[in-house]
Amino acid sequence: MSRPRPPLTGWAFLTPYAVAVALLVAVPALLNLGYAFTDHTGLTRDPRFVGLANVRRMLDDGFLLDSLRASLFHVALAVPVRFVAAVGLGLLLAAPRPGGRWFRTAVYLPTVIPDVALAVLFLWVLNPLYGPLNQLLGLFGHPGFTWLADPATARVGVVLMLAFPIGEGFVVVLAARRLLDGRLYEAAALEGCGPFGQLRRITLPLLAPVLVLLAVRDTVLTLQVNFVPAYVLTDGRPANATLYLPVYIFDQVFEFSGFAYGSLVTILLMLVTAVIITGLLLAVRRWRVLR
Amino acid sequence: MIRLEGLTRSYGRTTAVDGVDLEVRAGELVTLVGPSGSGKSTILRLIAGLDRPDGGRVLVDGVDVAGVPPHRRAVAMVFQDYALFPHLTVHGNLTFGLRVRRVRRAEADRRARAAADRLGIGDLLDRYPDQMSGGQRQRVALARALLRDPSVYLLDEPLASLDAPLRFATRADLLALHRELRTTTVHVTHDQHEAMTLGDRVVVLADGRVRQVGPPQQVYDEPADTFVAGFLGSPPMNLVTGGGVLGGDPDVTLGVRPEDLTLDGEGPVAATLEAVEALGSEAILLTRCPDGTRLTVRTGPRPGVAPGDEVRLRADRLHRFDAATGRRR
Repeated sequence: MSRPRPPLTGWAFLTPYAVAVALLVAVPALLNLGYAFTDHTGLTRDPRFVGLANVRRMLDDGFLLDSLRASLFHVALAVPVRFVAAVGLGLLLAAPRPGGRWFRTAVYLPTVIPDVALAVLFLWVLNPLYGPLNQLLGLFGHPGFTWLADPATARVGVVLMLAFPIGEGFVVVLAARRLLDGRLYEAAALEGCGPFGQLRRITLPLLAPVLVLLAVRDTVLTLQVNFVPAYVLTDGRPANATLYLPVYIFDQVFEFSGFAYGSLVTILLMLVTAVIITGLLLAVRRWRVLR
Repeated sequence: MIRLEGLTRSYGRTTAVDGVDLEVRAGELVTLVGPSGSGKSTILRLIAGLDRPDGGRVLVDGVDVAGVPPHRRAVAMVFQDYALFPHLTVHGNLTFGLRVRRVRRAEADRRARAAADRLGIGDLLDRYPDQMSGGQRQRVALARALLRDPSVYLLDEPLASLDAPLRFATRADLLALHRELRTTTVHVTHDQHEAMTLGDRVVVLADGRVRQVGPPQQVYDEPADTFVAGFLGSPPMNLVTGGGVLGGDPDVTLGVRPEDLTLDGEGPVAATLEAVEALGSEAILLTRCPDGTRLTVRTGPRPGVAPGDEVRLRADRLHRFDAATGRRR
């Protein structure tokens, strides 16, 4: 009697993807790690190893510090705003109600608009003279902001734009909420637990694993997707307020031919992401979500 | 005490509960029994306040509870699948309602332990629902209901998810608990064994209407119509329209319980034995008369006949129903 052979079918199906990941992700990532310690400009034929020269440069790079600060501010504001919007709307619109599908479509719609188109739209929304946002503020007697011309409001403006394409998180919350057993809510209602009590004592704890996953994913995403809005809306200005790490990397690599230095900054971006996510996971450890 | 007056509830075109009048006396255990879709669970939900009637009234202790939210109705419900909170331990599940009602932590803890001990789950307080057996989960659900200290218990198929031996044991426990508490209880089941053994009275429902109310044995002995006759009892009552082999008028349907048919060489009914189901303690004989009528007979074990044998049967207790309306005559 021969032993059953390990099934190869699964591996066969995985192969194309594995090859692609190796060629398009793993190899470039390893090359990137190597280039970070050379003088490669992106055009040089034979980059030379320069040891820690790029790291030393990084340590007294004032622009990098600005960039790091902009990125951290962005994550600190954009992730909670997007998270609350996706979760809040997902829970509100999960229950079947008249017209619900139109509201759900409306929430998802900005997600299918290309980033660049949305950014151009927000150039208009945030226009200090004729933009609708300032006009809206005018209705309440507020003089309005100079949005993209002021360092503080420029950062807020970018977050505002990214608060709309939240469709994916929204759909996940919607689906997860619909999977929860309705009887749990009836049992809670019999105990006198009102809507907010149900949200706090049932919905959020039961959705916690999904919510943590969403938060982690959004952190990774948010650190990267701010490139397009920053590039279209502000090009990293004013006063480097929106010189997020992806923008800075792009500038270094493609504008200033600093391929090696840009590679090093991508490694920094990855480390920043890893640190934030580790902190997030440590913070939610007590919720028993990773059981 | 619960009183239902003309209670009606429809979902779209389906009338789930159709003008139900019922009175459950204080301390009584009433079982609602009927096939799926007969409206029994809906009645329970209407009493609990989880659903609103389209018409009619629910009175608890003489008070119309129409505008009263579920948690102020002094009812506790045990759901069919228990509806335990999966993210909370047994302790968390038991103290949930107490904490919502702002009972102090120490007091809630004391009461939860007392209820858990009473149901024999005192050593499971740190377990999560997915770490327990069906029987243990059922006890947690009962303990949670106990902690409400209600004037009415509503049990929605509390034994349906248990396997047969456990169901038998739990049925006895449930009855003992009711005898001890003497709290008004409405119990819903589709299982006729439960209906026969658990209730002081049984309410047979079909299509959202009450077909018969009475003590289980009385309902079994004198079914009000052919539906009740066919529903209670396993195997069901033999019903012969127009009398047929059992004799009688064309405008009656005659019924005879399988245990009231006896193998008797002198018996008036001739039949051919088609199959014998030996169940150990008894045997079920499936017979067929010359005119095609099938009669089921319940006998003791080892009846001494084999399929293909010609047998004669004697019917001892006949039930007469109107052939047109199905009502008892």
